[in-house]
Amino acid sequence: MEESIKIVFTGTVGAGKTAAIRTLSDIPVVSTDVDVTDEVKAIKDTTTVAMDYGEVALDEQTTLALYGTPGQERFRYMWEILSAGALGVIIMIDNSRPDPISDLDIYLENFAPFIAESCAVVAVTHSDISDSPSLQDFHRYLGSKQMPCPVFQVDARDREQVLLLIDSMMAILDVA
Amino acid sequence: MAKLSKEAVAQLLEPYLDDLVERHDVVDGALVVTADGHLLAKKMDGDTSVKRLATMGSSLMSLGTTITGELKMGGCRNIIVENESGFAAFMNINQKLVLVSLTNSPNGLGMLLSASRACSTAIAKRFNENKTDKPGE
Repeated sequence: MEESIKIVFTGTVGAGKTAAIRTLSDIPVVSTDVDVTDEVKAIKDTTTVAMDYGEVALDEQTTLALYGTPGQERFRYMWEILSAGALGVIIMIDNSRPDPISDLDIYLENFAPFIAESCAVVAVTHSDISDSPSLQDFHRYLGSKQMPCPVFQVDARDREQVLLLIDSMMAILDVA
Repeated sequence: MAKLSKEAVAQLLEPYLDDLVERHDVVDGALVVTADGHLLAKKMDGDTSVKRLATMGSSLMSLGTTITGELKMGGCRNIIVENESGFAAFMNINQKLVLVSLTNSPNGLGMLLSASRACSTAIAKRFNENKTDKPGE
């Protein structure tokens, strides 16, 4: 019997959620991008307003379903809808934004009930533009929140690096 | 190209929404939102959470466009949500704007769609005639 495992990519606008799903997906990614009309235009022309969807075949029987959420908090209802039934969430944080730790906090708080029942991995992107806060800072912060999620520095366009996030999530779930 | 503020766009849109709601008894409320989910103008009574409705409108229309693209059925014209106490209609005005309209009448769907389509066309024409007015930026 075929099995589908659902994973959710969430995080800040421009952190690379859509890019990560495009990097991994075996199928053309279903996206819901529209023209940007607000301050996000400074970093990109389109934004996801409902979801991204891609798939990766893990083996002949198992497919990984990759769902990407909109980043903006006003689309929070989509975060709840898309995380239902997911195995875990990958929180992508753009380190070039003014306060990445506060950004992380928004997703930790909103996904807290979900994370308590599953797991989360934190992926810090754009560290080539800003290396502060450091991974150690993120690690300490997660510890202070009693949320010992693994933290990685990734380039969302690099398949191996994105796969490492998935592998890490699988490892946590195997242990749990 | 001239870029109108959101306040200026709202002022331009309000007469269209006033006309839609006041001239058609069956239309109980309407709003115009940007394709990326910002409320621009509203004509709606009561305590409906219009900001959430605005973002949901953009999500729905984008999903509708994605679905019709997958099905190769052309552009998505509108999405109708049927409720126990009426209907909500979502339709693209143009690439940047979405019209959301509501009726509490269980028999009001035809009128809601007809009036909303006319309103949507009029707004699209307004912005098309004045291409220097770029809404939502």
